[in-house]
Amino acid sequence: MSRDLDIKVHHLTRVEGHGNIVVNMKDGVLEKAHLSIVEPPRFFEAMMKGRSFHEAAIITSRICGICSLGHQLTSLVATEDALGLEISEQTVLLRKLLIHGATLQSNILHAYFLAAPDFLNVGSVFPLIATHKDVVLRALRMKRLANDIGDIVSGRAVHPITPVPGGFSRIPEKAELLEIKRRLLEEALPDGLETIETMKALAGAIPQFERETEYISLKHPDEYALYEGDIFSSDTGALSVHNYLDVTNEFIVNHSTSKHAKYNRSSYFVGALARWNNNHAQLGEEAHAAAEAMGLKPNCFNPYMNTIAQVVEAVHCILDSVRIIDRLMEMGLKNEKPNQTPTRYGRGIGSNEVPRGILFHDYTYDNKGNIIKANCIIPTGQNLANIDDDMMKLVPEIINKTKEEITLNLEMLVRAYDPCISCSVHMLEVDFIE
Amino acid sequence: MATLTVIGVGSRLRGDDAIGPLLIDALSRQTRSQIELVDAGSDALGILEYLEGREHVIVVDACQMGREPGSIVEFDSAQIDFVLKNDPISLHGLGLAESIKMAESLHMIPEDLKIIGIEPESIQFSGSLSIPVQRALKMAVDIVEDKLNRVSQLAEA
Repeated sequence: MSRDLDIKVHHLTRVEGHGNIVVNMKDGVLEKAHLSIVEPPRFFEAMMKGRSFHEAAIITSRICGICSLGHQLTSLVATEDALGLEISEQTVLLRKLLIHGATLQSNILHAYFLAAPDFLNVGSVFPLIATHKDVVLRALRMKRLANDIGDIVSGRAVHPITPVPGGFSRIPEKAELLEIKRRLLEEALPDGLETIETMKALAGAIPQFERETEYISLKHPDEYALYEGDIFSSDTGALSVHNYLDVTNEFIVNHSTSKHAKYNRSSYFVGALARWNNNHAQLGEEAHAAAEAMGLKPNCFNPYMNTIAQVVEAVHCILDSVRIIDRLMEMGLKNEKPNQTPTRYGRGIGSNEVPRGILFHDYTYDNKGNIIKANCIIPTGQNLANIDDDMMKLVPEIINKTKEEITLNLEMLVRAYDPCISCSVHMLEVDFIE
Repeated sequence: MATLTVIGVGSRLRGDDAIGPLLIDALSRQTRSQIELVDAGSDALGILEYLEGREHVIVVDACQMGREPGSIVEFDSAQIDFVLKNDPISLHGLGLAESIKMAESLHMIPEDLKIIGIEPESIQFSGSLSIPVQRALKMAVDIVEDKLNRVSQLAEA
């Protein structure tokens, strides 16, 4: 069918940085299909230059309100790598607990507040509050517990930040951790199981679209990698995070001020689906049962299933948090002081899996412990080329649908990746009733 | 339980958007048990954690109101039409307007919820406030202190 199609979705907000979807088809030939990002110029290096190693993680945690913990922990890992700071097993376990909390929170909110309204075709989360109040309250209950894990372990409610280079400036109390464990088992686990039922009921509305791509995530020898590991490509296998620039190969495109990334193909996928495809064998029985119930299979090439992979991870995070707390209790909490005596000065790389995918921080320190060079590559930047490639394949496949249906399919595709594109500003815009 | 909860929303890295968190810093220089201070950063949905069970709540944020930079307007949620972004493309699209709307629908709004909006001059990445907003910060501290005195007297009465 030869058809002209011209789609422009402007996600207008008062702030630069929201994504616009642009599709252009002429006489049945697809000329353009991409997500155009208008992001502020890269400010990261300028912001970090001259800062001491004590400050780096605090500043990076403020880059984005939703991704703050991921930036904070990845920054700490980069600093410790650069300065040769060894950390204890207790520190590693507490950080893993923090990552689980943040992943649980983000994945659950994404599934309920962004994906579910799409699957129910109601436009946004607001109509759901009237029709499915219990479901919205369940989502908020899980968010609250995830938040409380952050408060207790990272001390956010009291002091801004207790995770510091070399460890923690305050160790949580035994009773606080045991209370979290109780809530994980008594509240979050039943809520997680209900979530699987809800998503199972909605899974039929997930568009059937497949495009095999390269899946990149961390890989850890002993566990489902969220905190540290090697970089792993589904095409070519593992390499050290120290070689991350060989993977990200950032390049500039005309339609976006955010750089794109490619490795072995024209694009690659990062995020929950990449983690699932690369590391599903390391998940426990319950997570596998959840995946099976919701129709997620190993080697899934449908990007819309990213949301389902997130729900599977939420189940994993709940149960693994319980295991971590058990291990901490077994070891006995020690009131350790952070190790902040550098054994070298130079370059260090940190990489963790944050909810939206693999994140890199790269710092070079001078011999006074101040940053002279800094780089940060966020998951969304790495996914942009992949989203464009998805759109180029998707549009011709659904070209017989109405323009509105095509637009919705494209918006749902972008939402499935949950891009971080308007970091840092949530300014209120108001009209007064005269 | 504190008698007044003050929640500052905004990013400390984004020029005048830092007004919310900076107001919290200014208020925290004195330790007082009657006031609960919350720096919500730029995770606006986080305010939902601090509404329930409270009677008097103030939310402070940079607001685009079409006024002079540094203008301060105190209002409650019924007085305004929030510009809602009904098709958020990501979780990052859920801001204060959406969070308050959600709290309203869930009947979580406290009896006395006031929003203090401060018109920014610039929200570009920058580590400092503009001069008009620096002035507004001092005035906003006074507004909160007045409010604290009034609700404390009410609580004692």
